[in-house]
Amino acid sequence: MARTASNTRNRLNRGDNAWAYAFIAVALCGYALFTAYPVINAFIISFQEYKPLGSTFNGLDNYADTFKSELFGKAIWNTVVYTLLTVPVALILSFAVAIMIMPLKKWAQTTFKAIYYLPAVASGVALSVVWLWIFDPLQGGILNQLISVFGIENQNWLGSSKTSMFSLVFMSWLSSHGTSIIIYVAALLGIDESYYEAADIDGASFWQKMWHIVIPCLKPTTLFLLVTGVIGSFQVFQNAYLMTGGGPDHSTTMVGLLIFDTAFKYFEFGAAAAQSLVLALIIGIIAFIQFKFLGKDVEY
Amino acid sequence: MGLFNKHLGNRGLRYTRNAIIVVFLLLFALATLFPIYFMIMSSFGDPIEAGAVSYSIWPGKISLESYKFFFEFSEYSYRWLWNSLVVASVVMVSNVVFATMAGYAFSKIRFKGRGILFAVLLAAMMIPYQVTQVPLYILIVNIFEIQNTYSALILPSIVTVYNIFLAKQFMSSIPNEILESAKVEGASQGKILFTIIMPLSKTVMAVMAILTFMDTWNTFFWPFLVTNTMDMQTIQVGLKNFRFANTTYFAPMMAGATISAVPMFILFFSLQRYFLEGVTVGAVKG
Amino acid sequence: MKRKTKFASTVLALMLSVGALSACSGNGNNGNADPSNAPSSNPSASSEAPAAKDTITALLPPVSANYQANFEQMAADFNKLYPNLTLKIEPASWEDMTQKLDTQVNAGSPPDLAFINSESVAKYEPLGMLMDLKPHLTPEMVSDFDEVPLGYMARGDAQYGLPAYLAVHSIGGNKQFLEEAGVDWKKVQQEGWTYDEFREAIKSGVVKEGDTTKRYGFVFATSGVASKDYLGILVKGAGMPYPFTEDLKYAYTDQKYLTVLQAIRQIIDDGSMPKEASSIDAGKRWNMFLTGQTMITGKGLAGFENSAKLNNEKLKANDGSAVADSIPVDYVVLPMPSFAGEPAVSHAVVDGYVAFRGKKEPTAEHAANVAKAAYFLASGSVAATTNNEIALSHITESARKASEGMEVALDPDNQAASAVLLSQAPAMREIPSDLGSEAIKIENEVIIPKLQALLAGEITPEQMFEDVKKAAVDTFGADGVVQ
Repeated sequence: MARTASNTRNRLNRGDNAWAYAFIAVALCGYALFTAYPVINAFIISFQEYKPLGSTFNGLDNYADTFKSELFGKAIWNTVVYTLLTVPVALILSFAVAIMIMPLKKWAQTTFKAIYYLPAVASGVALSVVWLWIFDPLQGGILNQLISVFGIENQNWLGSSKTSMFSLVFMSWLSSHGTSIIIYVAALLGIDESYYEAADIDGASFWQKMWHIVIPCLKPTTLFLLVTGVIGSFQVFQNAYLMTGGGPDHSTTMVGLLIFDTAFKYFEFGAAAAQSLVLALIIGIIAFIQFKFLGKDVEY
Repeated sequence: MGLFNKHLGNRGLRYTRNAIIVVFLLLFALATLFPIYFMIMSSFGDPIEAGAVSYSIWPGKISLESYKFFFEFSEYSYRWLWNSLVVASVVMVSNVVFATMAGYAFSKIRFKGRGILFAVLLAAMMIPYQVTQVPLYILIVNIFEIQNTYSALILPSIVTVYNIFLAKQFMSSIPNEILESAKVEGASQGKILFTIIMPLSKTVMAVMAILTFMDTWNTFFWPFLVTNTMDMQTIQVGLKNFRFANTTYFAPMMAGATISAVPMFILFFSLQRYFLEGVTVGAVKG
Repeated sequence: MKRKTKFASTVLALMLSVGALSACSGNGNNGNADPSNAPSSNPSASSEAPAAKDTITALLPPVSANYQANFEQMAADFNKLYPNLTLKIEPASWEDMTQKLDTQVNAGSPPDLAFINSESVAKYEPLGMLMDLKPHLTPEMVSDFDEVPLGYMARGDAQYGLPAYLAVHSIGGNKQFLEEAGVDWKKVQQEGWTYDEFREAIKSGVVKEGDTTKRYGFVFATSGVASKDYLGILVKGAGMPYPFTEDLKYAYTDQKYLTVLQAIRQIIDDGSMPKEASSIDAGKRWNMFLTGQTMITGKGLAGFENSAKLNNEKLKANDGSAVADSIPVDYVVLPMPSFAGEPAVSHAVVDGYVAFRGKKEPTAEHAANVAKAAYFLASGSVAATTNNEIALSHITESARKASEGMEVALDPDNQAASAVLLSQAPAMREIPSDLGSEAIKIENEVIIPKLQALLAGEITPEQMFEDVKKAAVDTFGADGVVQ
């Protein structure tokens, strides 16, 4: 019985390999040239002292330096803290917003989606100017005016190591959810109406439907957002670079910023490549765990 | 919407619920919109230096000087917009097409090496670009010698792993039975892709289109690296020319940022119906 | 169904447009093939005949507001001077050009010339990517330059570039406020001041209304990496004009360094400088200066006088274009204070045109052509126009001559003060590149982060001094630092 079924499958799937390779051909070529080639290069460089006019191999020195460096450890710690504070909040917030948009009228849905999406279209430089104003340390700063209502003294948001990390996290909370919201909304709309209808017949409550239909159905999307979110967060660079420069006292030095400094401030490309690969390994392990826990039910 | 209960005709309860939702959404919208509001508002100021920026909620004076300044600042202002449009459109289309194909293969076809290949693709996302940038630059400029061309701007992002991953995740929720039955009827994979998968994936394709377009449109560093004449620069690179020695022409920069955001609004609104309506499997089955 | 066809037609249209666009990009390639694909250092082209055609590429930032607008004129003038040579200029913004240059340098294909700071020479020299112009500069070219700035672009025997200007980082005061606080600014301009005098002056410049400070005595932009400027300027006047002593010991482990760190804290603790100084950036403090929230601001450049005047005119015109809440301001150039018993030394910054080489060894002809281009840009009318625009004094004879008749409308007192500051600029001191790069690393990884913490009041000067000392001893050894 099982044999015949697998035979039928085999017959049906004949030629699938060829089709599959044809479908991924362009992607693979582009990948091999423009992604794999530079990555392999970086891998080789990580065992070298890089010089444009001729590098010399120095074995595992770069890796040894990376693991010995106190600053690298601190940067990893900062990045982990930042990731834990931002990625889950981003997921929950964008999920909640996507759900809340659903019962609204169509025009209202479009409007809200457009609004949440907007910050993504504005250039980063323009936004960073605004955020610098929000975090202005004097009494006139927006956030300081806001807290002064509660009688709190003005804070040196970006300039004090007590608040600098929080400021960057806060900035991420209030911006850059547009992409996740749109992806969640798209996924929500993909859930077949018949599931809800069946649940309604069983008299399921909103929360029951949420738990038994929505969350399982959105698992692939959540996995996607989680994995890309963690990757993005571990490589985060621009905000720290523009807003705090990693300071004060390395309280906001992220690995991405450190790698940038190593590569471009000190011209130690070998060391930067080694740091990157260590970072990639860490991200890889985290991603693997995420796939293990969330990836199971993705196949229908 | 089936997710939300109709509260069995209890209108009062429904209105309260919607009101609470709308208030929350509005508050969140306000926080999100503020930077944009500031960007647009300050673009109507005078073309003055950054030190002169007066941070205020209301504009002191409305003028279109900055927009004039932007277009008169360089003879290439229009050219920059055009370059961005070309590059972003091509990258958008190629990503939608190729990522859809690859996403389908990775999610629904069981071919040899699928798991490994996908893991390898994904692994590349984990390497920060800071270290791959120099090898990539060597490849484009020293080996291919295509600097300062559209190819150099387009080729490296012809199809991104991010989009393949996105497509794969969305397509994994298409029920296998539909595909199986199509196969039993003798449809080839190519036919399945065009007649079943693509219509069912309109939503994710629209999402990919807008995200890719936006991303490419906003990219600054790569176009900055590989272009070396004004006429090949994109709008983001051109915008940076507003930042001068110790001063920044603030309002024109904001005007430029506003101008550069407009195409994305247009794209968003022209594509929004695809991700508003959703696609149900039932529609295709029946 | 209807929707389906619409979607299909959209896809079709998009696909057609790909075809159209890729055809278009093909045209783009062909159209640009000539100028962009000609390699900058083409040995075969330049070695055949003495007047062989050659192209020199230059990566240039917006040095002054009109600088980039003059690129075409500059290229044309250069071509008129040397008909066989083409000067190809790539514009770039200040913030981004370092990264572009760094990527190009590491890829082994930098431009022939780049406008950078003289300190960056130390960064590129160890890579072997700089080109020595010395053999290709004629004696007339060399003698055209003032000695001190030219020295900033030299390392050992090699002349890696030509300087465009020497700028002195000073501070600037509001004339009216200075007089109200009883500061004899004219005397300070001529004779300088000590830290104690400075401290008293900025203390008396503070204006309070109840508990809130309406006006500070002194605000220096110290957010992020800009804090480096602040400390850099202060240590110059504290007997440490260079990070290394003459016998190449790391200087910042000296007790004098601690004195400077203590001064930084004192100024804030006195209430003369905002306690939030660590996140005040260049734009913010200039705004504070124009709106009368501070008596003295830093860093200051001679050209700030023009910026202040411009705002004064806008105030007079009263058309709403002036800085909101600003007041008329007379900008006074002031020197930084010096510390007890130490001579006043200015913080000089030299920027200029530095020559690079690619992976291939450049031919002598090409190197000579690059030297010609560098000299063309760094002297004569190009330098005269630019330096006048940013109100910096000229450093070549030819530029001084070329600038005759060009209007410079600076206040005579300020000009005299600037001249004094210029004369206090220290000459270049040669530091071996390995020591130099270690010092830069300590600066970035220890000094700047700790300084920000010091400014924010999170660590004491003594703690910071210990940290710097520890990092220095770890790097250079106990014998490599000043005890």
